[in-house]
Amino acid sequence: MKIMKFINKIIFFYYREYKLNLSGFQDILTNIIFFFISIFIFIFSIGPDKETISLIGVGIIWTLLLLSSTLSLRKFYQDDFENGNLLIIHLNGFSLGLIAILKTFSHFLFVQVPFLLSIPIACILLNIPIDKLIYLFASFGIGSLTLSCLGSISSSMNLMNQRNFLLGSVIVMIFSVPIIIFSVGIINMEENFNSLINILFGILLIVFAINPWASGLCLKLSLENN
Amino acid sequence: MIIVKNLSVERLNKKIFENINLSLVSGDITILKGKNGSGKTTLLKTILNIIEPSIGSIYWKGKLLKKNLYDFYSNVTYIADKTSSLRKLTVKENINIWKRFFLANIDNTQIETALKTLKLDKYLNQKIGALSLGETKKLEFLRLIIENKKVWILDEPLSNLDEDSIELMKQTFEDHCAKEGSIIFSSHQNPGIYVTKEIEL
Repeated sequence: MKIMKFINKIIFFYYREYKLNLSGFQDILTNIIFFFISIFIFIFSIGPDKETISLIGVGIIWTLLLLSSTLSLRKFYQDDFENGNLLIIHLNGFSLGLIAILKTFSHFLFVQVPFLLSIPIACILLNIPIDKLIYLFASFGIGSLTLSCLGSISSSMNLMNQRNFLLGSVIVMIFSVPIIIFSVGIINMEENFNSLINILFGILLIVFAINPWASGLCLKLSLENN
Repeated sequence: MIIVKNLSVERLNKKIFENINLSLVSGDITILKGKNGSGKTTLLKTILNIIEPSIGSIYWKGKLLKKNLYDFYSNVTYIADKTSSLRKLTVKENINIWKRFFLANIDNTQIETALKTLKLDKYLNQKIGALSLGETKKLEFLRLIIENKKVWILDEPLSNLDEDSIELMKQTFEDHCAKEGSIIFSSHQNPGIYVTKEIEL
C-alpha cells in the first residue's frame, strides 16, 4: 500500500514536471533553434565542401549539443529552489538524493530528448550518411543522460552562486571531455562499436552513481544556507 | 508530539538563538515572536530538520526526529514566507498539481467552498503572475486544506493579509485545534490570535 502511494507520488512528480515544461516550452524551442542556427553558421563559415563538412560533422553536432544543453542548466533546480518548491517536494517524502535522480530523468526527458529527435535533420544538413544514424543515436542517448547527471551536480553546486553563472557550464564541459572522445570515436571507428559503447556506458554508471550523493548533499547545503 | 530540548543554533560562528525549549501537543497553538533577524525562520527550519542545531535535540512522538524523519514529514505542512505556486500556471492548474502530488482525498466542492471563502474563485483561470501578493499568500493556505495534516508549521502567515483574511485565519486555526491538530507559527507583530504558548526569541 505504502509502495503504491509512493509510486503514485513519483508519477505525479512527473505530471508536475510535464506541466512546468509545457508552460516553458518556448525555452526548449529556443534551445533547438540555437542548435540549428549554430549548425548553419558552421556550414557557412566552412564553405560548400561536402567532404570537409561530413568529416567534421559529428564533432560539430556533439559540440553544439553540449553547448545548447548547458544553456538550460541554470533552470535545473533554480526555479524550484527559489520559490520553495524543492522544500515542499522534500517534505512530501522524497529524500534529496531521490529528488536529484528524478530531476535528472526529467531533464533528460524534457530537454535532451527533443534534441535527440532533431539529430536526423542535423545529419542531413551536415552530410552525414544516414546509416551512421543508429550509432549517433546510441552514443547520444547514453552521452546525454551522462550530461544530465553532470548538469544536476553542477547546477546543485551553483544554487547559492548568484554571480558567476558560467561556472556551472564550465564544470560540465570539463567533465564531458571523455564522453565526447568516446562518442565521436564510436562513429569514426564502427568496428570498435561494442567496446566503445561499453566504456561510454561505464562512464554513465559512474556519474549516475555519484549524482544522487553529490547533488543531494549540495541541495542540503543550499537549503540550509538559504 | 514535538519536543524541543535546549536547542541552540550557530551559523557562520554567530549565535542565532540558544536554549530554546518547546513542547507541542495536539490542540496547541504556539507563536514565535521576535524582531526581524531574531531567528524565527531558522528555528522553524531547525524543527523541520533542514538546519542542523549546534546543541540540543528534537523529538517526534518520543523518538529522535532524525530517526523518525519521514513519519514526521508525512504529518506536517510547512508554509514558507514566499509563494510556492508556479507563476506560469493558472490557479486551477496549481490546485490540480497540489491535489495530485499530495494524493489528497478531497472533492472539488470542498475546494470550491474554500476558494469562495478566500474570495479567489473569480481568478480560477488566471495565471498566478496576475494575482496580488496577498492573494497568492491566501492561495498558499489552500495547501493546508489539501494536504490535511496534523501539524502546521507556518512562517509569517499573517503578513500581507487584510483584516478579513486575518479574521478567517483565526477561525481556521481554532477549527484545526478543535480537530486535535497543532500549529506553530511565527509573527513579528501582535496578531490577536488566541495562542496557548508564546516563545520570545
